[in-house]
Amino acid sequence: MTGGIGINRRQTLALAMGGLFALTCDEEASAQGTTTLTFWTVRLNTPELSAALKQILADFEKENPGIKIKHEPVSGNLVYPKFMAAMRGQTMPDVAEAYSYHPLQFAAADQMEPMDDIIAEWDKNGYLADIFSEFAYKKFFWKGNYWGVPYNLDIRPIYYRKDLLDAKGIKPPRTWDEFQAAAIALNDPANGVFGVVYPAGDFHIAQHFYMSFMFQAGGSILDKDGNLVFGTTAKDANVKALTFLTDLATKYKVTPPGIASYNTDDPHTLYVQGRAAFGFGTGEVISRLMKENPALFDKTGILEVLEGPAGPSGKLSAAFYNPMFVWKYSPAKEQAKTFIRWFVQPGRLERLYLAAPGRHWPIFKRDINTDRVKNNRLLSEALEKVVPYSTDFAYPGFGRPEMGVIDGEKMFAGPVNQVVVGAKTPEKAVLDAHEAMKKVFSS
Amino acid sequence: MFLQRRVRFAYVLILPSLLMITLLSVVPIVEGVIVSVQNQNMLRGNPTAFVGLTHYLRALTDEPLFWPSLAKTLYWTAGSVAGAYLVALGLALLLNMEIWGRGLFRALFLIPWVIPDVCTALLWKWAYGDEFGVINFLLAKFGLIGSPITWLSNPNIAMPAVIVVQIWKLYPVMFITLLAALQNVPKELFEAATIDGANMGQRFRYVTFPAIRSTSIIITLLASIWTFQAFDIVYLLTGGGPAGATKILPTLVYDKAFWGSEMGYAAAIAMLMLVCLLVISVAYLLVYRSQAEAA
Repeated sequence: MTGGIGINRRQTLALAMGGLFALTCDEEASAQGTTTLTFWTVRLNTPELSAALKQILADFEKENPGIKIKHEPVSGNLVYPKFMAAMRGQTMPDVAEAYSYHPLQFAAADQMEPMDDIIAEWDKNGYLADIFSEFAYKKFFWKGNYWGVPYNLDIRPIYYRKDLLDAKGIKPPRTWDEFQAAAIALNDPANGVFGVVYPAGDFHIAQHFYMSFMFQAGGSILDKDGNLVFGTTAKDANVKALTFLTDLATKYKVTPPGIASYNTDDPHTLYVQGRAAFGFGTGEVISRLMKENPALFDKTGILEVLEGPAGPSGKLSAAFYNPMFVWKYSPAKEQAKTFIRWFVQPGRLERLYLAAPGRHWPIFKRDINTDRVKNNRLLSEALEKVVPYSTDFAYPGFGRPEMGVIDGEKMFAGPVNQVVVGAKTPEKAVLDAHEAMKKVFSS
Repeated sequence: MFLQRRVRFAYVLILPSLLMITLLSVVPIVEGVIVSVQNQNMLRGNPTAFVGLTHYLRALTDEPLFWPSLAKTLYWTAGSVAGAYLVALGLALLLNMEIWGRGLFRALFLIPWVIPDVCTALLWKWAYGDEFGVINFLLAKFGLIGSPITWLSNPNIAMPAVIVVQIWKLYPVMFITLLAALQNVPKELFEAATIDGANMGQRFRYVTFPAIRSTSIIITLLASIWTFQAFDIVYLLTGGGPAGATKILPTLVYDKAFWGSEMGYAAAIAMLMLVCLLVISVAYLLVYRSQAEAA
């Protein structure tokens, strides 16, 4: 007997077993009725996007009464540790949206469910043909399967001050030479305006803009067969792009002096404060202008993607078709795919696009021709001048998991940062980066 | 028999703590050692394949960033701990005196300690900004600079700049510990030294410092361990740049593990960090013991 309480050990054990049984029964009963999917999001976690997502998920649950969505936001800084820990503990979410190369990296670790069936359906129903760039889905193709599907687009436009260009009688530049000349002509630091502001810190964003110039010079990281060519056959073009980009800071000095520490927000803030004639940024600048400096919104334009040494064929801009994917060992894989099929459809995510104009773009062409875009001049300009030229990392080849490491370890942000601070020449920076990339491919 | 029972009882009392320490410290270290000798490359199959010391050899002989990062980590640690110790000692000596508002200042000086690292990094990133940073603004306002100093984008200045942030973060805990130690120094000793004609410097050298030496040793050792493995402030302020100038070992481990998908390799570098810390700690304590014995 246990003094005072009045039950013995055997009774305690029986009670505990009974309780456990009751819990198990309850779980089974729940499992028979409703499936709960865990959905991790990385890019939809700001208050306004979360609120919009909540409504979308409520719609899904209403239309699919057998499936509940448990939404869990994952901080961008913790995305890799969180997924890695989940993989090791086999507690991955049933479905997730995350960064570009996650599906391939997780597929290499045998954690991803192929998405070929959804891609095949999209091929039949015309969705594939309706996506802006074929690289949106081709980048998820590896070893015979598609490991993710794109659901949104994240663009990298160059914003410019129409009023400053007009005052100097300069037309919006369309080529590298025109851009360089305009940035030099408009640089006026004495009056608080720099020619151009871009991020050159040792952060991921620095490589996004370098990539655009790389494509425009005819360079790339991989060739069409997925081989690493960054410092070999594409070296000259990649050096040319790096030289062009960094010359703005080192030779012509038309950037703020501290760009070598700039992350994403710094150029945004300077541009929104009216401190730059040209600002490199994400689509978020549009919503920041609308919210923080509406007067500057009217004076802002979006540049057409520049034409560089590669001519019209290289007129491309780096962008990111972000993926959704399903965990291979999820007990509810089919329901997870049902959710993705429902979620990634024309018109479905309009609430997200309204919540933060410019930050997220639809992947389907038919989604673009909406009042939301027509009524917002900068969205219309981005649609006309940037979105059709947006392509992804893997260009001109298919995806490779190694690109996740090359992107993740900032292997081509490094060269931008090193050249801007004068630590390396563009050629040495490209060759050193190539050696580092080679190790990833051969590790 | 009585003693044995007491010992047994003592063990029972410390058992929960021992279990917690085992769970929270020993198990992760053992797990880390195991992972460090396995393949654990997310891009390749067979993650648990035994690879022996391959990762360790690669880090020591084939990793271009390992030795420079180790040197920078030592610089970062020594600079931060030395700087924080001097600031803390100065403040502790000052606030050990009978001055007005002593209690208020003691509380105010603890504020940096309670601010989360992420907030600290963002706060200082803003303060260091070249175009809208308050430090450059004040320096320019007082006519000390003609153009903004690029604190975080100049490879020669970036490391001292992040060390200042770590000093700001670290000094409160050292300050409060040293203040506690100072308050235990008997006043009679100072009075005797003063009567014997010792000046302020001599009183500090022969009375104050010997009295707080053991506390100083312990707190600087702990601060060294915390700083050696500190990650967030550097990562958020500079990302390891510019041009690798602030690439310390914890950021290298993070990059390799989570961005590079090489958990095994990252674990090996982390184990090498642990060895470095052990070597530093043992050397430190040996020097302390020999000095104590000599005294």
